[in-house]
Amino acid sequence: MTGKFLSLNDAEYAVFVSQLRQANERLNAFNFIDENKKSGKIISVKDNICVKGMPATASSKILQGYTPGFNATAIQRLEDNGFSVIGKTNMDEFGFGSFGLNSEHPAKNPFNEEYVAGGSSSGSAVATALIKEHVSIAESTGGSISAPAAFCGVVGLTPTYGAISRYGLIDYASSLDKIGFIGKSADNIREVMEKTVGSDPKDTTSLSTAISNKNSHKLYVIDNLMGGIDEGIKDRFEELLVRLSTKDYKIEHVKIDYLEYSVPAYYILSMSEASTNLAKYQGFKYGFKVKDFSLNYNDFFMSARKQFGREAKRRVILGTFIRSKSIKQKYYEKALAIRHAIIARMKNFLKDGFIIMPSMPIFTPKISEVSDISPVEAYSMDMLTVPPNLCGFPHMSFPYFYERGMPLGAQIITDHFNDYSLLDFLSEWEIGFKYKFKEEIG
Amino acid sequence: MKIGLEVHVALPTKTKLFCSDLAYENQEEPNSNVCPVCLGLPGAKPVLNQNALDISARIAKALNCEINEKTWFVRKVYFYPDLPKGYQITQLDGAIGVRGYVDLNGKKIGIRRVQIEEDPARIIREKDYSLIDFNRSGVPLNEIVTEPDITSLEELKNFIEELRSILYYQGVNINQELKTDLNISLAEKRVEIKNVTGVRNLISAAEYEIKRQSALIKEGKEINAETRSYKEDSNETVSSREKETEEEYGFTFEPDLTFYDTTKLEIPKAIIASNVAKELADRNEYNEKTIRELILFNRRNLSLLTSITREEFKKGVSLIEKFASFGVEDYSEEEFRKMLDKDVSSIEKDGFLQLLGRANNAEKKADEAEIEAGIKEMLSFDKTLFDRGIKDEKAMNFMIGEVKEKYHITGKEAAYFIKKVIKGMLNN
Repeated sequence: MTGKFLSLNDAEYAVFVSQLRQANERLNAFNFIDENKKSGKIISVKDNICVKGMPATASSKILQGYTPGFNATAIQRLEDNGFSVIGKTNMDEFGFGSFGLNSEHPAKNPFNEEYVAGGSSSGSAVATALIKEHVSIAESTGGSISAPAAFCGVVGLTPTYGAISRYGLIDYASSLDKIGFIGKSADNIREVMEKTVGSDPKDTTSLSTAISNKNSHKLYVIDNLMGGIDEGIKDRFEELLVRLSTKDYKIEHVKIDYLEYSVPAYYILSMSEASTNLAKYQGFKYGFKVKDFSLNYNDFFMSARKQFGREAKRRVILGTFIRSKSIKQKYYEKALAIRHAIIARMKNFLKDGFIIMPSMPIFTPKISEVSDISPVEAYSMDMLTVPPNLCGFPHMSFPYFYERGMPLGAQIITDHFNDYSLLDFLSEWEIGFKYKFKEEIG
Repeated sequence: MKIGLEVHVALPTKTKLFCSDLAYENQEEPNSNVCPVCLGLPGAKPVLNQNALDISARIAKALNCEINEKTWFVRKVYFYPDLPKGYQITQLDGAIGVRGYVDLNGKKIGIRRVQIEEDPARIIREKDYSLIDFNRSGVPLNEIVTEPDITSLEELKNFIEELRSILYYQGVNINQELKTDLNISLAEKRVEIKNVTGVRNLISAAEYEIKRQSALIKEGKEINAETRSYKEDSNETVSSREKETEEEYGFTFEPDLTFYDTTKLEIPKAIIASNVAKELADRNEYNEKTIRELILFNRRNLSLLTSITREEFKKGVSLIEKFASFGVEDYSEEEFRKMLDKDVSSIEKDGFLQLLGRANNAEKKADEAEIEAGIKEMLSFDKTLFDRGIKDEKAMNFMIGEVKEKYHITGKEAAYFIKKVIKGMLNN
């Protein structure tokens, strides 16, 4: 099946852009909207993926004014296949966040602007909810696609690590970063994904393995992961399982060791890598530029790196600490071991079935409820999205229920390179499910 | 006395280590050989140059190293304006070669590691400001780390000479490219002299430092553990103003690259000039040093000298010396064979060239070759001249003056030859 995308003639595009701008003033979905007419099938792109000639800031002040002169491989492949990028979507700075609040103008939830959009691909989820037939090219490191997709009532698919080239993706943690998709129809996501997958000579970690769709009607629920979940979410999820079992899915409850360590392992590895990936921002070649050339090197770099937001500074400092010689074994090497242990244990189940769980452990919070929580509390919100991300397993968050006008999302996980089975599952789910949106333009 | 070295040599690859820019580090136009990868632009990713991996494996093997079956890279994180990513991609535990040695007449100088790494950009310091040329950013290097097994200046000289003869047939000419960190301790405390350029400076720096430390010991004074630098103009080492703290680079696995399998690499048996020279000298009862110089002078000489009989050997050597002294560099095996049958012992240049069949415009050609060889020699003696090359008017004028005087040609002609030689050296 091919997808159905929004395509507009010149006159229509002008109207569309002005509507989009109006909505964007309320929702902050986009960091940049392109005025130039677009002849192709319309998509948007997270602001940490390079699109030639458009600003790429990753929502960071340190990249203000940077316009890359090259396309990310994924974007090049899409443009070659008739897609047009209309703009760059808002996000947590460099992907650091689960609510979209680590941005100068945080994106708002399209169902109710008092609520968070989720993060870090906040703008991609909001844009997808807002625009007809839309797919946004997003990115996930530890849950940055599932979280906003769940809170905004759209589908978020995070592919197998390495299935899509990272060339042109502004790095957060290179061994965990995955370009993926937020959309609202299985056919649309499938079409975009088919055009982007495949190895790329410019990215050593990209892989040429064919993507399969081995389907199964077995669903594993991981009991020891359900502990920290809100009771209301648990109830709704139980109802989902009942509905799925009436559709011939067989539910099996299991326990997987070490999963409770996945969040600390993830943050240790990702901060460690992030602190090196952010070392390139020095304030003299691109983006923010230090004007005072009389400073010595250390002061010069320091005045540039003050532009990082709080969360970015936190991760650089913690990541640098983790990498230091005397404690590397204590944290970093243990985290690596945990990662390998969890991959082996999850794979054991994924070889003959899906793993299913809620996407987020809480109902969508109000912005005011989470803007002051501690970093550790915020990180614990990733308890469900981190395991598949840490292990590079393809996974997908899909909307399954609306409670008090807000959507709820569930996440299913499959084995490496079996990504298309997630879309087959979604196609089947869409038969009895109707997506709801408050407004749609286009 | 304990001396250990960290020797950096540039690999003879056409392109840089992680991108497809040309690896000529000294272009006429600064920042002309750059791309998103070697500028460290956000989103760009490194891709390993397979040729650099091959050459490094051969160098490691020639240094008697064990080749790691899987080799990988790490990020060495520090801030300096010549480092566009804020980290250098280098190797540590997963280095291509480990636990090797260089044999100096029976004494083994341990090689701890041969690692592949990228060169940072070049900083050009002017009076009130500095400029950065990223043409050098990402040029492939090998860092050869020795054990502190060298125990005298004589041994240091022998080691460098041996290293030169080992690297030569891997296409690395250390006369031009050598950059060394030198560790010397005469007492307990270790002194490091960083960033010494060239072989001559390395020996001078070591000589000075040995004298300095001996004098301190004699006076009963303590030697500080410190980092020093070598000042070429005054021929001395001076204490660097940097704080003496434990270096903390936060090494971490380079996740944009992967593990590279070396078991499938074809690593031919290393040709080591000194071994071949020794073998030829023994077999032909000839002076080893002369043979070594000849085969280090021109790579073709190795195959010529190994192809001739014992009876022909002496004659062959003097023929090669004739070629060199008459400025003929591009002689073929056929020409060599042809001349070997003739008596050239007392022949003059004109007659020699006539016999060779190169009498036509031979005069002009020989002169050109002579001038170029002279310029080459001048440039390899003074590395800074080569570095500044044709970008720097002062350096250029100095060189033009020298060449004009020596070869009785016009300034314009001198400039032409100098540029030609520099370009040739860059493209080599």
